[in-house]
Amino acid sequence: MSDEFLRQLINVGEVDIVVGVSTHNNAKTIGPVVAAIQAGILKCFPRERVAIINADGGSQDGTTELVEKVSIDDLWREHKVYALRTLHSISARYARIPDPSKALQTILAAADLLHAKSCAFISPESTTIEPDWLQRLVRPIYNENFDLVCPIYVRQRSEGALMRNVLYPMTRSIYGCRIREPYGSEFAISGRLAGDFLAKGISNEDWGRMGPEISMTIMAVAGKYRVCQSFLGAKALVGHGTQDVVSVMRRTVGALFASMDPNFPVWSAITGSEAPPTFGTSTEVENEAVRINRKRLLDMFATGVAQLEPVLGSILPESVLSELKRIAALGLNEFEYPAELWTKTVFEFAASYHKSTISRDHIIQALVPLYRGRSLTFLSENRNGSGEDVETREESLCTDFERLKPYLLESWADRK
Amino acid sequence: MPYVEESLSPKLEPGWYKNATIYQVHVRTFYDSNGDGVGDFAGLAQRLDYLQELGVNAIWLMPFFPSPLRDDGYDISDYRSVHPSYGTLEDFKSFLTMAHQRGLRVIIEMVLNHTSDQHPWFQESRSARDNPKRDWYVWNESDAKYRGTRIIFLDTEMSNWAWDPISKSYYWHRFFGHQPDLNYDNPAVREEMWQVMKFWLEMGIDGFRLDAVPYLIEREGTNCENLPETHAIIRDLRKRVDDEFPNVMLLAEANQWPADLRPYFGNGDEFHMAFHFPLMPRMFMGVRLEDRKPITEILQQTPEIPATCQWCLFLRNHDELTLEMVTDIERDYMYDIYARDKAMRLNLGIRRRLAPLLDNDRRRIELMNGMLLSLPGTPIIYYGDEIGMGDNIYLGDRNGVRTPMQWSGGWNGGFSNADPERLYSPPILNPVYGYQAVNVLSQKRSPHSLLSWMQHILQIRRSTPVFGSGSIEFIHPANHRILAYIRQLGKETILVVNNLSSAAQSVELDLRRYKGNILIEMFGRNIFPRIGDLPYLLTMGPYQFYWFRLRQI
Repeated sequence: MSDEFLRQLINVGEVDIVVGVSTHNNAKTIGPVVAAIQAGILKCFPRERVAIINADGGSQDGTTELVEKVSIDDLWREHKVYALRTLHSISARYARIPDPSKALQTILAAADLLHAKSCAFISPESTTIEPDWLQRLVRPIYNENFDLVCPIYVRQRSEGALMRNVLYPMTRSIYGCRIREPYGSEFAISGRLAGDFLAKGISNEDWGRMGPEISMTIMAVAGKYRVCQSFLGAKALVGHGTQDVVSVMRRTVGALFASMDPNFPVWSAITGSEAPPTFGTSTEVENEAVRINRKRLLDMFATGVAQLEPVLGSILPESVLSELKRIAALGLNEFEYPAELWTKTVFEFAASYHKSTISRDHIIQALVPLYRGRSLTFLSENRNGSGEDVETREESLCTDFERLKPYLLESWADRK
Repeated sequence: MPYVEESLSPKLEPGWYKNATIYQVHVRTFYDSNGDGVGDFAGLAQRLDYLQELGVNAIWLMPFFPSPLRDDGYDISDYRSVHPSYGTLEDFKSFLTMAHQRGLRVIIEMVLNHTSDQHPWFQESRSARDNPKRDWYVWNESDAKYRGTRIIFLDTEMSNWAWDPISKSYYWHRFFGHQPDLNYDNPAVREEMWQVMKFWLEMGIDGFRLDAVPYLIEREGTNCENLPETHAIIRDLRKRVDDEFPNVMLLAEANQWPADLRPYFGNGDEFHMAFHFPLMPRMFMGVRLEDRKPITEILQQTPEIPATCQWCLFLRNHDELTLEMVTDIERDYMYDIYARDKAMRLNLGIRRRLAPLLDNDRRRIELMNGMLLSLPGTPIIYYGDEIGMGDNIYLGDRNGVRTPMQWSGGWNGGFSNADPERLYSPPILNPVYGYQAVNVLSQKRSPHSLLSWMQHILQIRRSTPVFGSGSIEFIHPANHRILAYIRQLGKETILVVNNLSSAAQSVELDLRRYKGNILIEMFGRNIFPRIGDLPYLLTMGPYQFYWFRLRQI
C-alpha cells in the first residue's frame, strides 16, 4: 500500500461502508457508475460513514481522475439527495497492469484499515446500476448480519451461459449452496469476512489468486459464513468484442476447481443443496432477439474435440470421450450436448485438475471448446423458450450435477 | 420625567457588542433574595460578582415585565414596569447600576410583535369596535385572511386567528392565542412602542433583544414574514435609537435562514446583531457526525454582513433547540441522536440543555464551547451551562431548561431559602445533574471543574479582539473530522483547529501562506514548530481543540 494511499485512508478515518470499484481503462462508464454509487449512498445510507475506494490497475484513459471528479453536489440537482456528511472518493493505483486479485486485496485492506462493517463491490462497467443496488447489497449485512450478499441479475435467456452451465450448478452441487451468481461483478461482504479473507491469505492461494471474486463466495459457503442473495436488476452487457473466454474460464472455473483441493473435507461430505435467503423480487425482462453464430460454435466444438483428442483422452474416460466424439459429428440441427454428459465432463475435468494429470492451465484451456458445445445446446434450447422454460432446464441441469456428485467423488479418488 | 442618571450608563464604545460575551439569564431563575421562591433583581444583583468572575461582559435579561406568565414573560401586560415577583423598578435600576459598575452591559428583552391578552391595550381594543385602541391589534370578521402564513407553535395552535367572544371577531396571533399581535400599520402603535423603548433606554440599558421581529406586518398574498414594511419599521426604530442613544445595540430574534436574515442588517441601518439560528443545530450535528461538513456548509452559505454588524452565536438558550432551519433528513437525524425520548421534543425542536445533549461528556462540552467562542460572532452563554446544569424534560413546555440556578449543594441548591414546594420550579435533583452534584460552589473549589475551565477560556477570548471582530478563512484539510480556520484582525492571526471526532486524529494543514511563523498554543502558551513548506502536521486527541496565535519571530 503506497504512502499516498495510506495518507488518504488516514483522512477518511473509520467508516461503516466501503464501496470498492476496481478499474482499468473504464473512462467510458466510470463517471455515471460512481455518480449512481454516490446517489445510492446518500439515498440509502445518509447517516453512515462511507468511502468509495477505487483500485486502479494502471488506467491510461483518465479513469481515476474521473472517479475523483464526480461531485456529490451534483446529486442534489439530479437525484434530489442531500449529503449529511462528507463522502470520500479515493483512487489508488495498485499496479501498472490490471490484476483482479491485487485489486480485491487493495480494497479489502483499505476496508480492514478503515474498520468497515461492510464492503460492497461494484463493477465499473455496470451502467445499468441503480442507486438502490447499494442498499440491496449492503442492507442484509447491516440489518441481518449476513457475511456475503451475492447478486441475482435479471438476465436475458441467452445470457450467462458460463454461469448457468458451469459456475452455478457446480458451486451448488459441490458446496451445497444455491448461489445463483457465485461470480458476480457486484457483491457485498461483512467486515468479518473481509478480515478473515485477508487473514487466511486466500488471495495468495491458487484459487484466490486466479479468481478473487469467486473465491470469496467459495470461502463464505465453505466456511459456513452467513450467505444470502439479493435481486439487483438487469446486468449491463458490455461490448467487449472478442471476450477472451480462456481467461474468463481461468478466473472462474479454474478458481473453482482449484478451491476444491483445500476444501475437500468440507465439500466431500455435502449432499444436496439449500437455497440461501433471498431478498427483493425478481423482475421480468423481455427476451431480446440475439444473433448467435451457431455454426461457428459447433465448428469450434468439433474442431476442439478433434484437435485436442490426446489431451481429452488424458482427462476423460473413454465412455465420455466417445460420446463427445459422437456428438461432434452431428449436424447443426441435430446437435445436442446432453446435461448428463456435460455434468460428467465437468466433473472429470475437476478431478483431473485435482490430480494434475496434465498442466492445470491446459486442462482449463481444453474445457473451452467443450464449453462452446454446451453453450450451443444452451442457446438452442432457450432460443424459443419462455423464462420459465429456461429456469426449468437450469434446475434440471443442477439436479444432474447434484445427482452425479458421487461420480465426481469416485473420479476424484480412484481414476488415475 | 423618566428616570435618568448619567452615571448609570458609562459611554458605550461603538461596536462594543462585537467583543462582548453575553450571559443569558431570566431573573426568576437566578437567585431569590427574599425567600419567596422566585428569583428577583435584588438576588441577581447579589450575583453580579459571579458573572464578573466568570468573564462575561454583558447580560441579556429575558422578559421581566408584568405578565400573566403564560409564556414565561413573553406575554407582557405592562411594558413600563417590573413583574412584582422580581422586585420593583427601583430594584431594576439598582441592579443596572451595579452591573455597569462591574463593566457588565445589560441587554433587555423587548417583545414588539405582541402583547398579552391581559394588556390594558388589548382589553380596550376588544371592548368595543369603536374604541380608540381597536386598531392597535389585527382584527378580522373571519379567519380566512392571510392563509399563506405558517403556524409557529404547531403543537398547540390550530390557526393564527383566535375568536374573541367579547368583540365577536377574530384577532391575529403568530404565537399563542393569548398573545394578540400588535397592528404595526397603525402609527400610534409604532409611536407608543418607541416610547416604551425610550423609557428603558433613558434608564441606561445598553441594548435590546427584539423578539419575533419578522412578524410585525401582515399582507395578504404573502407569508407575512420579513416584509419590506417590517424592515421600514425597524429602520425607523434604529434611526431613533442612533439619534438619541448612540451605540445602543439592537439584537434581532429572527429564526430564519442566513440569506433571509441578511436584510435585517440592512446597510448597517437595521439591527446590529442577529442570531445565527441555522449554525447551532449544525454544530451539534457536526460533532455527532464527526464531520465538519454541516458547519462549513452553513457558514459558507452565510452572507457577508456590514462591518458594523455581528452574528450572535449560541449553543443553547431558553427555548427548544430549534430544528426549523435544517433539512428533513437533518431533522430526523437530530431527533434520533439527541431526542430519542419523545418527551425531549417540542414543536420543531429539542428541549434540552447543553450538558445532557452531549451526554455530560466534558470533552464534547469543551469542544462545543471552544467553537462557540472562536467562530465569528458574539457568543451567548445560557445560564447554568457554564457549570453543566441538567434539565427536566417532564416539566411542561420549555420549563425543563428554566429550572433554578444551582449555586451550592445545600437547601434548594442555594437558589432560595423558601420551602422547596414554594419554588417557581422544582430544582434538578437527579444524581447526575442535581444541585448536589452540579453547583457553583463545588466547581469554584476545583481548578479542573467546568466552571474553572470556562473562566479560563473566556479570559483567553477576552485577551484578543480577533475572535469578536476578525475575519475567518477556512482551511480544508483532507481529514473531514477536523474543522480548522484562521481568524485574523490586523496583524494578529489565530489558527483554530477542532477535532470533531471521538478518536485521535492526525491532520495535515496547508499553512504555507504563514511560512516562517511559529505557533503559540494559547491555553498553555507552549511553542509549536515553525511553519515551513510542508503541510503542518498535528495530532489531536478525541474532541481536542487548539487555539494557536501565529507569531513571526
